[in-house]
Amino acid sequence: MAKVQPAIISSGFSEHASKRSDVNMAELVNEAVENCIQMANIDWKDIDLIINGNMPAFEGANMPELWMGDHMAAKNKPVLRVTTGGTTGGSVTIAGYYAVASGLYDTVLAIGFEQQSCGDTSVGLASVAIGEIVIYPDVGYDYSRMASNMGAGAAIGVASYQAMNYMRRSNATEEDLARVVVQNRRNAAKTWWTHLKMPTITIEDVLDTPYLSYPLRFGMVCPASDGACAILYTTEEKARQIADIPVYVNGVASVANEPAILAPNMEGAGQVDPCEQLSATKSAELAYGQAGISFPNKEIDYVEVYAPFPNQELMWVERLGLFEENMAPEAYRNGLTAWDGELPVNCSGGVNSTNAIGASAMERPAEAALQIMGKASNQVPKTVHTAMGHGWGGSINLITHVVMSDEPQRKWR
Amino acid sequence: MEVGDKIKMPLPEYIKKEYKRTRTLRGMWYLTNYKYKFNMSRIKTYLKGLKEGHLLGIKCRSCNRVFFPPKTICGKCLVKPDQWVMLPETATVATASAGYAEDDKDRERPIPVIGVRQDGSDTVLMHNISEGVDFDTVYIGMPLKVVWAEERNGGWFDIDHYEPIEDPAAKLNKEEDLK
Repeated sequence: MAKVQPAIISSGFSEHASKRSDVNMAELVNEAVENCIQMANIDWKDIDLIINGNMPAFEGANMPELWMGDHMAAKNKPVLRVTTGGTTGGSVTIAGYYAVASGLYDTVLAIGFEQQSCGDTSVGLASVAIGEIVIYPDVGYDYSRMASNMGAGAAIGVASYQAMNYMRRSNATEEDLARVVVQNRRNAAKTWWTHLKMPTITIEDVLDTPYLSYPLRFGMVCPASDGACAILYTTEEKARQIADIPVYVNGVASVANEPAILAPNMEGAGQVDPCEQLSATKSAELAYGQAGISFPNKEIDYVEVYAPFPNQELMWVERLGLFEENMAPEAYRNGLTAWDGELPVNCSGGVNSTNAIGASAMERPAEAALQIMGKASNQVPKTVHTAMGHGWGGSINLITHVVMSDEPQRKWR
Repeated sequence: MEVGDKIKMPLPEYIKKEYKRTRTLRGMWYLTNYKYKFNMSRIKTYLKGLKEGHLLGIKCRSCNRVFFPPKTICGKCLVKPDQWVMLPETATVATASAGYAEDDKDRERPIPVIGVRQDGSDTVLMHNISEGVDFDTVYIGMPLKVVWAEERNGGWFDIDHYEPIEDPAAKLNKEEDLK
């Protein structure tokens, strides 16, 4: 258990867009760091440790922390880099929690960033998957078949298999998927830092676009964004002095599962049903256990899930114990998850509207913390006491969880 | 639609902000300059089996899961599976999706790609279904049968594709019955 109770005192964002052609990677990070430090109302010299991370090779620059040391206020301070693919942001957030909870550091700045317009995302993904793919021709997997089979591959492939199995399980329709997109994009229009702001989008607009990979349409998938996010952690004592409403992080968990669909070395993948997501259920259990939450569907007031594709949002809210299995589409239909609903989900528009890969999983807890502080730009009308940020990444299904509240952990013990 | 035509992607408007462009220079990064290594011990036996017309899966002695194609390590028990088992030629669709390749002649026609669960195994393998099978008729749980390639040379596609066979439970899968 945590020696010291960590608390989030502020979170900052840069502006997100498909091409932030006006800044380079270091300046982009600086935007989020400045926003975070200004909101926290502390001096940058008070920061003891800086943890950062992004997706390696997506911008064609490994070890970018060497480049941007000055831009993230790292002079005379230790710097750590954490990177776990799609969940990088979540892992960086958890690393920040560990650093404070261990009692070794008082104030920790966690940064996640990505500038996808600098590089070629497919080259970046190839650098991840090439170790597995180069063997294909060697065992008689010809290129024409690879093209047609991998056409439904990569990130959207994994999601479309999940979507097929989810729709089969819960009888969700394409309209249900489109409804999730509409909710997200409209929410994004009310948040200052998001990318795809579509205030007038309707379900028909989404269903008008062509398929990319059945059942996912062009209008349903996440964009590729440039952006950065920062979270400032400190100890409970300091947080009480600095912040009006400190956000105490009470439970973190990160669980990996066996590869689904794409197993390395041409091996069989151990997960038969891609929408089962045992690692999500497991990590949710761990995080809720640490935070002392017995009934997540009743105790959690606000949730941010990592859902680049709409079917995943439906899937995650069920797997995280927030709705009964197969009941999420109905909840969305009835508006329970809307901005003014019982359990608002993704009021920042979610990953579906803004996806700067290395920052995405960090923007979830960052936005959830802002909702508790009451500083979010799309602030929900109800009072948020307990919130959760979730992250998902990679074909090994690494799941990260951050449960936070406006009361420290020992209250429940 | 002609081959090579650019497909328009209609989307509702979104609020876009213009940014002033900073200095941008191009750089290159060659991924082909690297070397990658593989453990062929399991897959060689598997491919040899295919050449002889056998479907070989490998069983973990700890959890009894059967991997097809073989795995070098069981993620559940940290045991190296080493017991080869012969699998039947039947399989089921575990998951499915459709690709819409841009250079395809007719973009409207989806190409089904299926996740196959070979009967007797506990894994999913991405494969193809017989040509001409309509994607709308593919469903999860659909029974399949292996179609061998005419010329087998110990390669991955010695199983040319899977063809659908009659499903005794097909009636149950109709939507009217579910409602």
